[in-house]
Formats: sequence, structure tokens, C-alpha cells
Amino acid sequence: MSNIAEKVKAIIVDKLGVDESEIALESSFTNDLGADSLDTVELIMEFEKTFDISIPDEQAENITTVGEAVSYLESQVKE
Amino acid sequence: MANNLLAGKRGIISGALDEQSIAWKVAERCVEEGAQIVLTNAPVAMRFGKINELAEKLNAEIIPADATSMEDLENLVTKSQEHLGGKLDFVLHSIGMSVNVRKGRDYTDLKHDWMMKTFDVSAISFHKMMQVLWQKDAMNDWGSVLALTYIAAQRTFPDYSEMAESKALLESFARSFGYHFGTRNKVRVNTISQSPTMTTAGQGVKGFGEFFNYADKMSPLGNAPAESCADYCIQLFSDLSRYVTMQNLFHDGGFSNMGMNPALLEG
Ligand SMILES: NC(=O)c1ccc[n+]([C@@H]2O[C@H](COP(=O)([O-])OP(=O)(O)OC[C@H]3O[C@@H](n4cnc5c(N)ncnc54)[C@H](O)[C@@H]3O)[C@@H](O)[C@H]2O)c1
Repeated sequence: MSNIAEKVKAIIVDKLGVDESEIALESSFTNDLGADSLDTVELIMEFEKTFDISIPDEQAENITTVGEAVSYLESQVKE
Repeated sequence: MANNLLAGKRGIISGALDEQSIAWKVAERCVEEGAQIVLTNAPVAMRFGKINELAEKLNAEIIPADATSMEDLENLVTKSQEHLGGKLDFVLHSIGMSVNVRKGRDYTDLKHDWMMKTFDVSAISFHKMMQVLWQKDAMNDWGSVLALTYIAAQRTFPDYSEMAESKALLESFARSFGYHFGTRNKVRVNTISQSPTMTTAGQGVKGFGEFFNYADKMSPLGNAPAESCADYCIQLFSDLSRYVTMQNLFHDGGFSNMGMNPALLEG
């Protein structure tokens, strides 16, 4: 798993209080990991802070699963 | 109904998220009554809510602050005074959040690190806010500091979960800080214990709809609406309540003193 994916997982564990074993790339933040609407905004802001980027709202709306977050971040962040 | 009750006064209003927020109504009423205000909310609320709309409408500045961060609060208090051009006359704490409630955890199975976060956001933030106001000597004499609370601090409402303890703590901070602020600055500190109200925070509580209707029937006047809560805040910010301090004031249509209301049996 990429460095970015590891960091994303760690953020999700911290913010949503889920067990790392529950997180798969297909997991939906709201349907599988119990995020409410405020959590999803908080996650996006945490990604921005951790990876030092800004994610426009239109893009943020398309990030609904762990995999979508990872691939979006991989496309934006230069390691 | 504007009476210029806050003419020439300056204040900070926290907690306006969308037009249902109690703080939203308070902000509107403050400006109607002639006050100059700064709005504040958590950085996440800037993206989640509609506070920008309110700021535009009221021509008010927004200074984001996470109410659990002393650094943010220090910045808030300093910048607000700069922006408003002097010391403050009133401050509203209208902040509440419980992760355990949001995640629907049973009261007998709470996560305690989340509980600490709940207390920090919902109650200790009030102490932090007042400590910053105190240390920066930011309040004018005869100023007024208010926080919103709920009767679950005194009686058991099972679905309110750990917010009950948060509110008990919040109300206690009002009394204790009220002593210090009163003695040094003649500043009063109170909490308003408001009826259930249809807001984002309110609706986060399990079974809120049914409970709202129950409280509405139990209260001889019915549940107090957010607009009336805002009116009460205005009175407590105004000079017409100068000697009211260290109180928890029920604004609940009579709910808190009812034992049983036959209206509830009528179906
Ligand atoms: N709605 C009710 O039934 C009811 C009844 C009695 C008391 N209250 C109290 O009224 C107050 C306002 O709630 P509301 O019902 O208007 O709901 P609301 O959801 O509109 O307001 C809660 C506010 O708290 C803010 N907030 C959360 N975390 C924060 C942080 N870390 N820093 C700064 N701000 C933060 C949110 O952004 C939001 O604006 C709360 O203290 C609530 O407990 C509500």
C-alpha cells in the first residue's frame, strides 16, 4: 500500500473511530464507516492539512470512498 | 420589533451554522437592536454551513476559531476588538457537539476519549473563552456573557447522553466565572436553558422529533422558539438586566416546573 494510502487510513481511524481492519478501498465513508455529513467535511479538511493542498468543494463532493480519496490525493500530491 | 436596546454595544456571537441555529437568530436580533457584532465558528463550519450568507446580510466580520483552541480564541478576542473599535459588551457561547451522540453510541458503552472531546467542545470551551476575555481585559464594565444550555443538566433525559454532563459543567463554569467577572468588572455571566429546538445540533439527538412534540405538549406555553430565545438573549445583553448574574435561566414555556400535563393523555 502506498504511503498516501497509509496516511489516509490513519486519518480515518482517528476521525471516525473505526478499526483499521474495517477500512477497505471500496468502503464508503457514510455507508460503511458511519461518517455523518460533518465528518465528511472534517475528513476533507484533514486531508488538506496533512498533504498541504486545497481541495475545491466540487472535487470534494466526488470523494465518497477510501479508494476515491487515495486516488485523488495520489493525483495531486507529489511525494 | 427594534428598540435600540443594544445601541452602541459591541459583541461576539459564536455558533451560527445555518438559519436554524439559535445563534443565527441572536445575531440578526443584535444587529436589529443596534449592536455591532463579529461572528465566529469552527473552521469546519465555514465549509459546512452558511455563515458567510449571514455575515453578508448583516455586514459583519467572521473570525473563525476552534473554541477548544486558546490560540484561536486569543486571536478572536484581539481581532474582534480591533475590528469593532473597542472593548466588548456581550459574548454568546452557542456551541455544542458530542461525537458519541453523533455516532449513536449507547450511554452504557461510550468512548471516553470522545467524551473528553465532547466536554472540551461543549463546556470547557466556555471557560477558555472567558479566561481569554478575562486575561485580555476585553469586557466593558456591565457587560454580559451568555451560554446556551439544556435541562438535561438537572434531570435525566436518556437520549441526551453525555451532553447532560457537558451542560452541568457548562452551567457550573457560568457560576464560578460569574463571581470573578462580577467582582472585577461588574460583568454578568448566565446560562439560558432553552426548550428543544429544531437545529442541526438538536436533531442529532436520537428520537428528537418525538421528544420535541412531548416537550411541546408538556409546556403550558409550548416549546419556546429560537426567535424568542434570541429575544431573551437581547434582554440579557441589554442594560435592562444588569443585576442578573450567575443564574441558569429557564426559557422553556414552563416545562421545567411541570409535573404532569393532562394534554399528554389526550393523545
Ligand atoms: N437545539 C436544541 O434543542 C437546544 C436546546 C437547548 C440548548 N441548546 C444549545 O444551543 C447551542 C446552539 O445549538 P443549536 O441548537 O443552535 O445548534 P447548531 O448546530 O446550529 O449550533 C452548534 C454550533 O456549535 C458549533 N461548533 C461545534 N464545534 C465547535 C468548535 N470546536 N468550535 C467552535 N464552534 C463549534 C457548530 O459549528 C455550530 O455552529 C448549543 O450549546 C446547544 O447545546 C440547543
